Amino acid sequence: MKTDLKAMKNIFAIAITLSLITSIHASSQLNAPKEEDYYKILTLPTPEGILLEVGGVATLPDGRIAVCTRRGDVWIVENPSMEKGTSPRYTLFASGLHEALGLAYKDGALYTAQRGELTKLMDKNGDGKADVYETVYAWPLSGYYHEYSFGPKIAPDGSFFVTGNVAFGDEEWWRGESRVPWRGWTMKIHPDGTMEPWATGMRSPCGLGMIDGEFFYDDNQGDWQGSGGIFHLTKGSFTGHPAGLKWTGRDNSPVKISTEQLYSKVDPRQTKIDGQYMKPENIADEKNPTLLYSLKNDFPEARVPAVWLPHGVLGISNSEIIRDETAGKFGPFTGQIFVGDQGQSKIMRVVMEKVKGEFQGVAFDFKSGFQSGVLRMNWGHDGSLYAGLTNRGWGSAGTTTAGLQRLIWTGKVPMEMKIVSARPDGFEIEFTQAVDRKTAEDLDSYFGRSYIYKYHPVYGSPTVNEEKLTIKGVKVSDDGFRVRVVVDNLRQYYLHEIIATGIKSKEGLPVLHNTAYYTLNNIPDGDKLPISELRTKRSSATVKPAAVKPSVKTNPSSKSFTYAEIEPLLVKNTCTACHQVNKRQVGPAFSDIAKRKYSNERIVQLIYNPEPKNWPEHETPMAPMPQVPKDEALKIAGWINSLRAPAP
Amino acid sequence: MKLIKFRVIFLLTLALCAGQANAQTMALTLQDLSDFKPQAGNWLIVGDVTMNPDVDIHEKAEVSLTEETKKGKKAKITTPPAMPQAVTFTSGTGILLNMNDDKKKDQLISAFEHGDIEFELEVMLPKGSNSGIYLQGRYEVQLFDSWGVKNPTYSDIGGIYRNWESEPGKIYMGKAPLSNPAKAPGLWQKMKISFQAPKFDKAGNKIENARFNYVDLNGVRIHENVEVPLPTGGPIENNEKALGPLMIQGDHGPVAFRNIKYTLMKSVEVSLSNITYQTWYGNYKIISDYSGLKPSASAQVSELTCEVLENEDGFGSRYQGTISVSEDSNYKFTLAYTGGARLIINNQQLTNYQSADGWWRTDEATIELKAGSYPFEIYNYKNASWLPPRLGLFVQTGSLLKPLHAFNSFPPDDQPVAPILINPGNEPRMLRAFLDFKGDNKQRLTHTIGVGDPSGINYVYDLKAGNLVCVWRGDFVDATPMWHDRGDGSFKPMGATQYLFNNQPLAFFTSSTTSFPLITRDAEIKEGEYLGKGYEVEEATGRPIFKYTYQGIDVEDKIYPDQSSLTHEVTIKNRGTKSGLYYKVAEGKAIQQMPNGTYAVDDKSYYIRVKGVTPLVRENAGKQELIVPVEGSFSYSIIW
Repeated sequence: MKTDLKAMKNIFAIAITLSLITSIHASSQLNAPKEEDYYKILTLPTPEGILLEVGGVATLPDGRIAVCTRRGDVWIVENPSMEKGTSPRYTLFASGLHEALGLAYKDGALYTAQRGELTKLMDKNGDGKADVYETVYAWPLSGYYHEYSFGPKIAPDGSFFVTGNVAFGDEEWWRGESRVPWRGWTMKIHPDGTMEPWATGMRSPCGLGMIDGEFFYDDNQGDWQGSGGIFHLTKGSFTGHPAGLKWTGRDNSPVKISTEQLYSKVDPRQTKIDGQYMKPENIADEKNPTLLYSLKNDFPEARVPAVWLPHGVLGISNSEIIRDETAGKFGPFTGQIFVGDQGQSKIMRVVMEKVKGEFQGVAFDFKSGFQSGVLRMNWGHDGSLYAGLTNRGWGSAGTTTAGLQRLIWTGKVPMEMKIVSARPDGFEIEFTQAVDRKTAEDLDSYFGRSYIYKYHPVYGSPTVNEEKLTIKGVKVSDDGFRVRVVVDNLRQYYLHEIIATGIKSKEGLPVLHNTAYYTLNNIPDGDKLPISELRTKRSSATVKPAAVKPSVKTNPSSKSFTYAEIEPLLVKNTCTACHQVNKRQVGPAFSDIAKRKYSNERIVQLIYNPEPKNWPEHETPMAPMPQVPKDEALKIAGWINSLRAPAP
Repeated sequence: MKLIKFRVIFLLTLALCAGQANAQTMALTLQDLSDFKPQAGNWLIVGDVTMNPDVDIHEKAEVSLTEETKKGKKAKITTPPAMPQAVTFTSGTGILLNMNDDKKKDQLISAFEHGDIEFELEVMLPKGSNSGIYLQGRYEVQLFDSWGVKNPTYSDIGGIYRNWESEPGKIYMGKAPLSNPAKAPGLWQKMKISFQAPKFDKAGNKIENARFNYVDLNGVRIHENVEVPLPTGGPIENNEKALGPLMIQGDHGPVAFRNIKYTLMKSVEVSLSNITYQTWYGNYKIISDYSGLKPSASAQVSELTCEVLENEDGFGSRYQGTISVSEDSNYKFTLAYTGGARLIINNQQLTNYQSADGWWRTDEATIELKAGSYPFEIYNYKNASWLPPRLGLFVQTGSLLKPLHAFNSFPPDDQPVAPILINPGNEPRMLRAFLDFKGDNKQRLTHTIGVGDPSGINYVYDLKAGNLVCVWRGDFVDATPMWHDRGDGSFKPMGATQYLFNNQPLAFFTSSTTSFPLITRDAEIKEGEYLGKGYEVEEATGRPIFKYTYQGIDVEDKIYPDQSSLTHEVTIKNRGTKSGLYYKVAEGKAIQQMPNGTYAVDDKSYYIRVKGVTPLVRENAGKQELIVPVEGSFSYSIIW
């Protein structure tokens, strides 16, 4: 027992490395456009005594919203859109479920995954309360706390997809394990009560998505999962976590890789010192670390994420995957995908495309500021997005433990990168508004890098093999909505980060979320743009050096960085995942740290070896961040101390 | 915040672990009455005792006399003249029985005297009987047939009885138990008491009241940390002393005891002196990673404390000094810490846990020491930033653990968890959760549902086996383990839980030795075997009706409170013609039929009454099973 809890704690500590870049943008630039100008969060009031730790959200055909909770209730919310300002009504439809973490409506019944079974809930006598709790299919559990089950998502053939978390070891409390059949698996359950093992490699598969009849899921960062990401899950897929391979010897397993075969390619690092297992830690400066995609050479079942959701930037514990099917009621992103995040209490936006037969695509930040962890989402008939919230046991950027909120489009179109798609020689960015040609044709408006994550038994991975993108030139379309960005050094399977900092719309608006994270699993074939069509000018080449604020480069120990100067370092090192300048978030505000009057060296020491007891009012202990380069840590420390008001 | 839950667990451990040190646990063998003072003869040593649950000791009922005659009296059964109908016994040893009458009705007084004491026993009361256990002959825990009482008072079983003084300042009104976990008459009930004697100064003035550290009845805590400021009614002497005998009331009716064990807890004096520390800073995996290095700091301190550390994490430490003990005895030490630690006393390594991230550990060890002074040494190191540094050293004295460290080195928990307690309202409350069978995490059941009834009669059903797992009376469940923080998915029944058995109860036998299928946690659904279908809620009652199929047979389980019992109706459809279908209704060490036709199961832990069919008792795998041949629907009741 104690070791389990220890595991939880540590995992928790490390998992929290998050980011709320957009709100920082907002706070650093007065009058700059804010997320809430375009999308507004509204809270559904709940009667006192009802705790909506939401595990599932389903929209009923009559527009009511059903939510199931971790406390085992199913509430039906009438008038969820609060027409004419009247409060929603709550009816208890079912109760006593075992930590239900998903809800779907089909043919007059609600379906939910309890920890140990898929259950069909029906109201036969028409009194608005379930009187049938029918077991569709029950799967084994070992009884370990982490064995949550998620779903269902309903496939076009009427079957149900359900996913299951792994347990963790007793002594090796950091190591995910599948103690009973099909933990760490995705199961496809047929309405006749039979189960088809579908895919494995799952660790904490909280987010499920059914898009165009294809099943997708996202995993959370953890052991063997370097970062969160969205996988396209065809039958027989293996997505990286080895726990579920324990059952691949069974006749009905569509995955054939054995644990031994996998471990012959990548060391599980189960080593003992003095008779005790040692927790594997990240090897700093590791030469040629194993990368997930390398498994594809040896195992046809191996999959890589269609879209990486870089940990600490686009979430820390990804959740529901849902496509915009509102036909415009929710704004300009019809057909695109939204992904929730529990820890960062926000929603990301994803656009996928198929290249060489496989899905890949781009992810952006979209909307932060929910009152608790975003676990589940569904569309209301009013076109707003209902977000079911909970953070119990994990903490989140949103400071309440639970709730139901909805996100509604204000009718204004934000200046955003609407779509980024791959080209043989780079990317094409499509904007929601026409760009200002001057800024868009300036190569200084763009920068980028590419990187990837390790595939190893350690909890999470730093970004590795980082490389700056060499942007050769750009071409802006005649209508100003599209920009071709030609990049010299594309790398297959790598995450390509493109930051369009300098771009303005014709109206002069900056891009609301200026960073695109494109996972380039395949580089499309085809013709490259002739160099003659490219614009290659840089405004910096024509401006006097004094105007480019050279302080960062010339005087690294200076304490007079501006926020804009230090921000790239804070983002890159995921500091902003937990800290804001003036506002308490998961961690204390930078300005509060400044008040402690630590020396710069002491702050660096605390970055490497945090002392959570210094901040007893913060629930989430900071994880040690040894990967932050010392010179960058010193710059950050100096900047933090510069936030302290000078002594009178 | 995250740490809180686990610290609570730790503190409970501290409170519960008193028991072994400075004393030996003694058992009263009940071979004879030599452990007690002479008495009038109402107290007997017997071999077995049976109390007819239907017969009140106050009734001279003809019904039971008739029954006795009908069955015929076995030669070895002697029937005391006063109340022949309620209690029968066989000669032998191992059970202490009171059979008082108008003349013989002495209290039973132990030969030993005690101060701080922990003891446990099993007690059986016939219907309507009354007795009591007086600690030190002065502080009474009531024994009473309180079966089914909803709102217990001081005069119900487990109550701390009142006195009958009228003089102001001498009145004590007693204390009701927190709940009533009483079992039915004629069943063995377990009681466990930790008692702290009143303390006196040298002049003989009382400086601390007598105190019940805890009283548990049938596994449920009914008192915790309650002082008794004055003797209760009917003491051996109306005064208070450091020592006194145990006294059992013998003038109000029959009562039987067995398995009496007690531990006399001695107070000892232990102190630390000449304390020095050394500290190292670095990320150490084992003690030898730092113990041979030059320390970064060292000094003398007045108290044992980890507050000497300069960093909260990434440290190694070593404390040395002298430990002095007052007398020759066994001393039990508890080392409580985060990270890893080793305790050495008198050059003997008592505990050694080497891990940089130990989670709020408590290691215990006992050492025999003669009065005098000895060197001690403690190593403690940690590399786990999520844990604060903590180091505590406790010694057991009397029934308490005394800290030998500075307060802030191991401060008591100050942010306990608010419990999440679930009770039904006007309608039955169903709640699924994991259940640790018999409280044992290794026997955790994963597909269980608790059903709480407004009547206060509750049960847990295993949806993976179609099995009634346990029953209890009183409050429903504590869901804190499931719903606080991340939780572990389980709940705990809140009353005295009668666990039944753990397997699939319906099976075709191929031979008389076929076992009922054990449903393991890794078991998957098998074609044709047990297949759970879930449940429907009965419109009229709001109670669930469970459904499953087994080899083509459709089964419905309806379970409902029936006066003081729980009745289970098993409806069988599509029985078919295949022979050898059996249903297990009970199992245990011994199953015997009672004078009233019920079966007493597991050495008189609970009763089963089967309706409509005649059950069989069979021996299987070292246990007895009460089984029913299944030709159609049937029902049975559990009475406890």
